[in-house]
Amino acid sequence: MKNTILLGLSLTLSAMVATAQEVAYEEYNLDNGLHVILHQDETAPVVTTSVMYHVGGKDRTEGRTGFAHFFEHLLFEGTENIERGDWFKLVSSNGGKNNANTSQDRTYYYEVFPSNNLELGLWMESERLMHPIIDQVGIDTQNEVVKEEKRLRYDNSPYGQLLFTVAENLFEKHPYKDPNIGYMKDLDAATLEDVVAYNKKYYVPNNAVLVVAGDIDISETKKMVEDYFGPIPKGADVVRNYPKETPITTEINAKAYDTNIQIPASIIAYRTPGFTERDAYVLDMISAYLSDGKSSKLYKKMVDDQKQALQVGAYNIAQEDYGMYLVFTLPVGETPLSTLNTEIEEEIAKVRDSLISEKDYQKLQNKFESRFVNANSSVEGIAGSLATYYLLYGDTELINKEIDIYRSVTREEMQKVAKKYLNPNQRVVIDYLPGEGNEQ
Amino acid sequence: MKKIYTTLFVSFLMLNTFAQIDRSKKPEAGPAPEINLEDPQTFDMKNGLKVLVVENHKLPRVSIQLLIDNAPVLEGDKAGVSSLTGSLLGQGSKTIPKDEFNEEVDFLGARINFGSQSAYTSALSKYFPRILELMADAAIHPNFIQEDFEKEKQKMLTNLKSEEKDVKAIAGNVAGALAYTKAHPYGEFSTEESVNKVTLEDVEKFYANYFLPANAYLVVVGDVKFKEVKKLVQEYFTPWTKGTPPSLGFTSPSDALYTQINFIDVPNAVQSEITAENLVALKMKDPDYLPALLANEILGGGGEGRLFLNLREDKGYTYGSYSGLGNDKYGPSRFRAVASVRNAVTDSSVVELLNEIELIRKSPVSKEELENTKAKYTGRFVMALEDPQTIAEYALDIETEDLPKDFYKTYLERINAVTVDDVQKAAKKYIKPEKTRIVVTGKASEVLPNLENILFNGKKVPVKYFDKNAEPIEKPESGVAAMPEGVGVDDVLNKYLEAIGGQEKLSDIESYVMTAEAEMQGMKLNLEMKKTADGKFMQDVAVGDNSMNKQVFDGKKGYVVMQGQRKDMGEEEIIKVKEEAIPFPELSYLSDATIKFEGIETIDGKKAYKLKLSEEKTAYYDMETGLKIQETTMADMGGQPMTSTINYQDYQEVSGIQFPFTLSQTVGPQHFDFKVNEIKINEGVSDSDFE
Repeated sequence: MKNTILLGLSLTLSAMVATAQEVAYEEYNLDNGLHVILHQDETAPVVTTSVMYHVGGKDRTEGRTGFAHFFEHLLFEGTENIERGDWFKLVSSNGGKNNANTSQDRTYYYEVFPSNNLELGLWMESERLMHPIIDQVGIDTQNEVVKEEKRLRYDNSPYGQLLFTVAENLFEKHPYKDPNIGYMKDLDAATLEDVVAYNKKYYVPNNAVLVVAGDIDISETKKMVEDYFGPIPKGADVVRNYPKETPITTEINAKAYDTNIQIPASIIAYRTPGFTERDAYVLDMISAYLSDGKSSKLYKKMVDDQKQALQVGAYNIAQEDYGMYLVFTLPVGETPLSTLNTEIEEEIAKVRDSLISEKDYQKLQNKFESRFVNANSSVEGIAGSLATYYLLYGDTELINKEIDIYRSVTREEMQKVAKKYLNPNQRVVIDYLPGEGNEQ
Repeated sequence: MKKIYTTLFVSFLMLNTFAQIDRSKKPEAGPAPEINLEDPQTFDMKNGLKVLVVENHKLPRVSIQLLIDNAPVLEGDKAGVSSLTGSLLGQGSKTIPKDEFNEEVDFLGARINFGSQSAYTSALSKYFPRILELMADAAIHPNFIQEDFEKEKQKMLTNLKSEEKDVKAIAGNVAGALAYTKAHPYGEFSTEESVNKVTLEDVEKFYANYFLPANAYLVVVGDVKFKEVKKLVQEYFTPWTKGTPPSLGFTSPSDALYTQINFIDVPNAVQSEITAENLVALKMKDPDYLPALLANEILGGGGEGRLFLNLREDKGYTYGSYSGLGNDKYGPSRFRAVASVRNAVTDSSVVELLNEIELIRKSPVSKEELENTKAKYTGRFVMALEDPQTIAEYALDIETEDLPKDFYKTYLERINAVTVDDVQKAAKKYIKPEKTRIVVTGKASEVLPNLENILFNGKKVPVKYFDKNAEPIEKPESGVAAMPEGVGVDDVLNKYLEAIGGQEKLSDIESYVMTAEAEMQGMKLNLEMKKTADGKFMQDVAVGDNSMNKQVFDGKKGYVVMQGQRKDMGEEEIIKVKEEAIPFPELSYLSDATIKFEGIETIDGKKAYKLKLSEEKTAYYDMETGLKIQETTMADMGGQPMTSTINYQDYQEVSGIQFPFTLSQTVGPQHFDFKVNEIKINEGVSDSDFE
């Protein structure tokens, strides 16, 4: 057994250089500032057309939260040439599928069609950008839909408020303090004028990237892109100037309540740097080390061996301006939350005070390589990655090179980063308890 | 010369400007894309294992699937033996202990899963040799041990227990058993009894009989070389001893003789599960396979199907209604149309399902429906091609289903050639309303009366009754059975009060204290409750020493403490707590004209009087003993109606009064069994308890 692992180790080292897979792409700008990325893959006659807009939950003014997500709904309502209610029918009756999602940092829309419907996909996305219908009827309809979504996904869902609680305790000034879906009173207060102004500000070609990926002819596609997106006028430059947070230097304690749960949870959270920074990558590795897989440190100790926790997970929530790093546990039986916190801190302290073992380091490298390989396994996934790397990381080439960053992270660096960000005086400790809260 | 260039350039520009696209219309689709389907490389081993390899070097990863295509196996009185075999496989091997096995798989960043006659693993391709070796070792030399067997058996029994009152699970079991009979592999299901009969030896025997290479396929897809795969597979799978599974016959099922409703009473059901089903003899190689798929898709495939549009979008009876059409080379499979609906609309939903089933046969589908459905199929087919697994799956189908070699190469062509007429012919052949069995699983007292009056094509649809083991039974008690002659609400209440000790004894009670505990997901809940005859009340629910919820009421005002947060009771809460505070509320129900008799129902096998105590509250009193056996309360939880049911069992005497010592509460998906530790009468309570 020992021998086999050693053999595996040396295999990994020699194979490391050989496995660089290459996603080929071409990128350019239209005159109106729209960035275009084309990726050709002839495996199957399928094409993904997608647009990512650099607008997310954080792009709002006080009292108008949740606008970006609301827009994601609104922009399926129809355009000057696509009638209200026809969007989904157009997709399914042409053999396609589509969806959209919004984060605090960006909004992403996409369709996947058989490749002979490439033009249809481009038409639909250009219609959405060029002249969506924004009227009171759509606003009222989607207001209801968003409220229903909020009830379903957060209010009635066990641990649904957990991330909101973490965010409001980690951030004081930055818009990340508020939920991405927004406060319903803000949506209710939104006027048609507000909504139109938001559209004009953020939904402009110079704030977006178009990705066309799949079985395409590059020059024909370029022409179609110019035809459909070229005539859309450029907008004003988008300026983001969000307040900076002052560092947390004393532990923050908070309690939160959730009527949908029976088992309390404990959360330890830290504020971390934005995702383009190297330290964010290192933190990714630390969270995998602590809780990814049955042989990870926290899982093995707290769930398997000592049976104190039903579940334990460390998550590095990567965001553009600041990240949130959190460890989440559910106690077994009567284990007090404070005991869980002590156990967790003990493991985090080990990462700060000593180097992780060579074997664990190698396991991490295997895991990240496996993740990297599987992340680019579908054209749909590649389209999303290309858009993200360009728009948010400012470097499309990361799609091929990001793995090198993880590979270059050393055990010493993991220790250094843990020392820099994961100290007890920098953390927020939340008791997330069953029952009625006094807030909200 | 220069001039010519300029002219050319200008005209080119003009062309661009004037040949503007017309964005007011949806662009037309280009010519249908060409499909390029490769064939996998194959080789056979001497022991019978057939190997298919799809080389795909796009990503440095590999997946390996082992599939044993045996005929269905009848497990009989040991139903459950195959699942247990599946869960005991992949836990190491004769040479590698379980923990080491898991650790190594984890280290490689890989995954391995086993079924009773299958296995699957995926890994980075550089670990292909080792992961293949581990998988082969675990498959060929499994290490079945008693300790693991007991653990897996317990898990399975716990699951069965949790499904006892699960309407969906019961519906699934019974619908299968009625369609195929329980003497057929597709009709039998595991029960506590059958699982308890299974021994470790049975698992070993099952493995020895069926985990054999004779009908086995190994499918390797990914960044590997055929030559290397062949060499390694031959090395690792040669020890797999040749063998052929026993071939055992089983009964051949037949359709219902006429349209009928088969009803299963599940008294706790708040929704009815409806399955309209008939048997179909459909194989993939049949010429009308594709038209049959399209007919089913138009009827009940997803959010654009007729069932969905009718029962959800139009009527709002359900969150979704769908249909499915099976195919099977070994014998009959099923056509099924299903919906989960609210109790109140169960009969209407059955009518709508029958109407849709009838309509798809009677009238041709519209051209638009057919075209849109073809587009859906085309899209799905094309999108699936991106995944190299698809190539392997298709090749496997061709092999196992005895299909023509070009079955998938001509798939789109054949889909496109299907006509409206073909669809109707297929619908007529495979969807058989005149032999449909409509299996309804639900609450008899609320849905049965209307179900008995359903007309289909002018004839009343007969209802037959079954229990949850799919055995025929007499009609269950339902609806408002007449109150026996000369019995009134007060008689029921008096009989209850008499049964627990008599009014006289009860009036001696000034206070009582009850302590009880329940187990919840591994946590112990402690309940303490105090009540006084003058309406004071205290209830404390704690996990260990931590109070989770405490309610205190002094007869006039009260408060609630939740997780350390104290809140005074509002007006509505006070009204509610006042009702709770009375030790024996039945005393005050006597001569209350608002309390209504609602019929006789069977609760846990006992006939009981049902009294409606208020808008929200209903209680059931055992006809024989007079004791209260159940109470249900409707409550509003976050905007959704929820029923809380408390069953009272195990009555024991304390100071001459009968108290239930087991209180089982079910709220939505949550279930608690409170076991009473102690009840004290007229002691242990003081006024300070209610401050």
